[in-house]
Amino acid sequence: MSNLEQARALVKRGQVMTVIAVTAIALCAVRALLFTPVERFQGPAQKIFYLHVPAAWSAFLAFGLVGIVSGLYLWLDDRRLDLFAEASAETGTILTAIVLITGPIWGKPIWGAWWVWDARLTSTLFLFFIFIGYHSLRAAVHDPQDRARFSAVLGILGAMLIPFIHLTVYLFRTQHPMPVVARPEGPTLPGVMLLTLLLSLGAFTLLYLGWTTLRYGIGRVREAREELHDATA
Amino acid sequence: MTPPPDNGAYMIAAYAITGVILLVYGWSLWRRGAAAMKDDSAPH
Repeated sequence: MSNLEQARALVKRGQVMTVIAVTAIALCAVRALLFTPVERFQGPAQKIFYLHVPAAWSAFLAFGLVGIVSGLYLWLDDRRLDLFAEASAETGTILTAIVLITGPIWGKPIWGAWWVWDARLTSTLFLFFIFIGYHSLRAAVHDPQDRARFSAVLGILGAMLIPFIHLTVYLFRTQHPMPVVARPEGPTLPGVMLLTLLLSLGAFTLLYLGWTTLRYGIGRVREAREELHDATA
Repeated sequence: MTPPPDNGAYMIAAYAITGVILLVYGWSLWRRGAAAMKDDSAPH
């Protein structure tokens, strides 16, 4: 199978996964809105949790993989690793935009403010800015080797923020609540809410995989076409 | 017992905006994928 055929197979696989993931997210939204109980103190706004947390989880997965794959690129100098990092960073940026939009919409009725400059919110905003910078850098540098090397370094630095963002609620006095699932004593959510959250986490993870596979395939097709063009020129 | 606060409009706004983002970005990615699947040797 040629490089171009392999790349197109990735695009096809990404499209199939994306369709399944979007359907799964729609079904999770129906379950969250219609079949999951309303939280007594926060009211219906608490159901934003089933979007906000899975989007945050998949965004951190995306940027974490950017960091790991970028490190591997600097070590192995394999162009495919750079293309995967590019794809994962793009998906992570869209997912972080969802986190940064749904968070304030949830915060306003519960905290009385759209935004507070606490450590969790501010560091997540910085992570978003770092990856906006990552995409700008990629667009500005034309030499493929330089682009891959510079963006790999920035990708690693961005990913290093993720453990810090997770720990902010322990290290600082924050408005943002503590984790209710990823905690040493186990989840504190009632079973029906936990199941909705876990299904939504699965659906968003699948969306991350679908979008990233599709975006990676598109990058591989672009490269394969350039190789063919160079070979025939 | 105090009833839960009536803030369903925020919930609907969050779900609607997320849906729009997923569809707009998903559609853009889908079109780029469709362009990548086109055969270069096919007549334009």
